[in-house]
Amino acid sequence: MQTISRNPTRIFYWPIIALLAAIGFSLLGYAIWLCLHNVSLTSTKGTQFVGLRNFERLITDWRGLQALWRTFLFVVLATSIEVVLGIAVALFLDQEFPGKRLVRSLILVPMIMTPVIAGLTWRFLFNAQSGMINYWLSTLGIAPVDWLGDPSVALYAVLVADIWQWTPFVVLLAMATLENLPKDLVEAARMDGANEVRVVWHIILPMLRRTLAVAALIRAIDSVKAFDLFYIMTKGGPALSTETQNLYGYTVAFTNFDISYAMTIAVLLTVVTNVALLLLNRFAMPRGNR
Amino acid sequence: MVRKILFFLVLAIILFVTLYPVYWVITTSLKNLRDAFAMPPVTFFSPTLENYAKILNNAAFLKGFANSMLISLTASVLAVAVAAVASYGIVQQSAKRRQSIEGFVISLRIAPAILFVIPTYYVSMRMGLLNSHGLLIAVYAFINIPFAISLLVTFFEEVPKEMREAGLMDGASEYRVFWHIILPVVRGGLVATFILCVLFTWNEFFIALILSGRNTQTLPVTITSFLTFQGIEWGTLTAAATLIMLPMIVLGMLVQGTVVRGMSAGSVKG
Repeated sequence: MQTISRNPTRIFYWPIIALLAAIGFSLLGYAIWLCLHNVSLTSTKGTQFVGLRNFERLITDWRGLQALWRTFLFVVLATSIEVVLGIAVALFLDQEFPGKRLVRSLILVPMIMTPVIAGLTWRFLFNAQSGMINYWLSTLGIAPVDWLGDPSVALYAVLVADIWQWTPFVVLLAMATLENLPKDLVEAARMDGANEVRVVWHIILPMLRRTLAVAALIRAIDSVKAFDLFYIMTKGGPALSTETQNLYGYTVAFTNFDISYAMTIAVLLTVVTNVALLLLNRFAMPRGNR
Repeated sequence: MVRKILFFLVLAIILFVTLYPVYWVITTSLKNLRDAFAMPPVTFFSPTLENYAKILNNAAFLKGFANSMLISLTASVLAVAVAAVASYGIVQQSAKRRQSIEGFVISLRIAPAILFVIPTYYVSMRMGLLNSHGLLIAVYAFINIPFAISLLVTFFEEVPKEMREAGLMDGASEYRVFWHIILPVVRGGLVATFILCVLFTWNEFFIALILSGRNTQTLPVTITSFLTFQGIEWGTLTAAATLIMLPMIVLGMLVQGTVVRGMSAGSVKG
């Protein structure tokens, strides 16, 4: 069976995989070529080979280093809060109640809401004068905060919007896993009089470990690349306080038109992402999987 | 009893936080200027459709709508068609070969968009392609193909192997087996994958911002251009926002199980 089944099916996939690889590798090659030259749309001089000078510039670029640090901070905070909150909500919803199917569909809404519109909405909600958040705070007697205008809080305002949009992903992923878990072990522990906290900590969480790792991995990859919410809510401001690596790369490419330097930033971003992934994969993934 | 009340109270808070932004967009779009900015906010108001009348007469918005439709539908049809053929082939391979192909496909999905968008921008600019629909369709198809492959593979592998073997025994060619036996079985998966590709393309902003020109702007880019007006017109803006997001929320709910499956396809089975 194996010999007849193998060969004729290869023609179904290899042309497209080869095409994807060809496009992928030529773009990567071109990206590296750009990093080693000084292509700029505003320069009047011709393109020259500059070797590693773009990389040298990057490691002494204070603005770039700060953006890198901010990206790191954002990724760590967003991923950890979304995973913890998501698991908590999923555990909370892991029981039978009327309307569970409806609740599950409603939780999906933030994820499929157009990100630009989510950004616009949060920009309004965080508005210092007419925003709802300050209004609600004022009903509690708390003084208004200039959420998007104060460099020390703006990053956290964007973080809140990101948490709002992506925690549902973790919730739904964890809910799906929880439903497929063998329930007898949990029931047995409850019968034996173990309290709820111990059941969750010693039995349910270990079984969720793989899902947790996958959720963290996917959220980390996506939050490194976060762009839409930042662009709409703050555009990197005020005083560059919300400028992440991705946004900085965008600005260098399309405001300064310094294509080569922007590519260098993009390559660094990719390298950092991959290193983070390897580390996460190594430490978070249970052994025996991938 | 107390436990139950507490449960529904917390549930209500979770749903309120989840849905408030959507509620705000839709209600603001139905308010007149005075109600929209009333403090304290008004919960009961007489709804008006004047904002919708205004946005549906806005040439830029209509153009964006047409562009978004054309680009997301075409790119998704292309991606699903190509990915269906590829996935059929991939699931027939040995475990080892499958792992390396799927690993490559995932690595394409992980790379940050900025890495390939800048070179694409530079090349298309020099070739004068920045204002063409073809460029955006090609780029979105390129991005959707890896996504569609890793999702469709999960549908194709659910088809019992015996179906294909029985077809081959009866003398059908590999192509006939694919077209007449397997495709009808995975129809549901194809539709779900297509809907998700449309959803992601429609909602996508970063690539559209860079690679679209005056004539090819998609809706997310169009709506940000409304922001630069002297003072933001929140009424028209939220009416536009409602028309952009509502179709996608409805589509997403139709395939709700597949959304999470699609986003995690390849890294978790389920």
